[in-house]
Amino acid sequence: MVEAFAVASGKGGTGKTTSTLALGMALSYEHDVTVVDADTGLANLLFHAGLVDVDVTLHDLLIDGANAAVADATYERFGMSVVPCGTNLADFEAADPERLRDVVATLAADADVLLLDSPAALGSKSAVLPIVLADRVVTVLKPTIPALSDALKVGEYARSYGTGSAGVLFNKVRDEAAVDRIADRTEEYFDGPTLATVPDSDAVRDARDAGEPLLAHAPDSPAAAAYREAAATLTVEGGDSAAVADRFSSAVVPDRP
Amino acid sequence: MTVTLPRGRLLRSRVVSDPGTALSTALDRGLTGYAVFEPRDALLFDADGRGVITFEDGVPVLAYHTGTDEGGAAALADLAVPGPYSVDVFELDASALSAVHDTPELRVAPGLPAERLAGDPALADRTRSAAPEDRVAADDATADANTVAAFLADESKVEAIREQAREEARDRAEEWGLADELADSPRPVADAGDDQRGDERADEDDPQRH
Repeated sequence: MVEAFAVASGKGGTGKTTSTLALGMALSYEHDVTVVDADTGLANLLFHAGLVDVDVTLHDLLIDGANAAVADATYERFGMSVVPCGTNLADFEAADPERLRDVVATLAADADVLLLDSPAALGSKSAVLPIVLADRVVTVLKPTIPALSDALKVGEYARSYGTGSAGVLFNKVRDEAAVDRIADRTEEYFDGPTLATVPDSDAVRDARDAGEPLLAHAPDSPAAAAYREAAATLTVEGGDSAAVADRFSSAVVPDRP
Repeated sequence: MTVTLPRGRLLRSRVVSDPGTALSTALDRGLTGYAVFEPRDALLFDADGRGVITFEDGVPVLAYHTGTDEGGAAALADLAVPGPYSVDVFELDASALSAVHDTPELRVAPGLPAERLAGDPALADRTRSAAPEDRVAADDATADANTVAAFLADESKVEAIREQAREEARDRAEEWGLADELADSPRPVADAGDDQRGDERADEDDPQRH
């Protein structure tokens, strides 16, 4: 069984990548987890996962004519399978976003949980595809009006494509009581539970600087505990792997003439 | 959620009509310790409803309500009943408080007790001025949160944002060749079984998308 989650926010700087890897690690205690940096235009997962020096990345799977295999771009790190994306702009421009479907289909065959670290803004096809492909969206939110406003937009995009909501993760929180006051409304608008309230933390920056996921770098930090709580709240409702893989691959657009 | 505080040294015990008096005295003395507020109602009716506020150098840090087991701003809301109050003020070593103060769910912004319990913005400002910088930032976050709460309460505004996003999603789906994957795509669904979404997406006979 596999369930694909897009980790999305609508706004940059909310801590999506940190959240993706932290959730991934927390879920990996119970599930086979594959994490994909689907933010192909602004990739940064490689910095968080100590994969800066790898040769093959998602870009090599998305560029027409490149013959890398999915396995070549998949790295076993921190108990997860991690597919980083490169940061070369020319590679991004050469990439065919539609090929993400095949990649996701292949990865779905061997995973219980697929986490797609998704682009912040929804301004392009490559940015919206992770949300189209996912079963459900985990919305990472800073409790500010601009962040909520953009996340509401992501929520509507997801709903438009029949992608469900897995809930809301409040991140970089400095006043937990304040979040408590808006949680009910937010749960209603986002049609899902509050997965956790993650406190603002220096440990997150330190982990990024060390090139390690938060749960590996500072497992005892309150932020790490909050992510474990989020993972525990998230009930994985995977469908049959073969059926899911078929869903992704059979939706592949015919080759362009 | 329970809070265990060492008893400490009792500095004063009195009945006040305004809890602001206790907050103001704590600030002026640079109290490190805690104050127990018991509304007169509780004295009369023997109800278990005491509020505890801890202080560090005169600035409130935590709030907890024994009757409702609430912490933080919610505890202040529970405590904000008409006076008078019986107030006991205890002094403690900072070291005795440090473990208790590592309880984020009970923390309050420095100026919040003065605002919520005493309704005294000037005292709240004075408290914020005395608070360490990182604590004031938390207070600012609280002010932001009030604005955020108001934003979310405005249902028509939120609905307008969502409506606009729905239209945009639809227009962009056309533009990007994803229209067939919209949830309410008019295309026939082959088999509306458990895997309905998959079936909607698995329509291989789609005309080529642009």
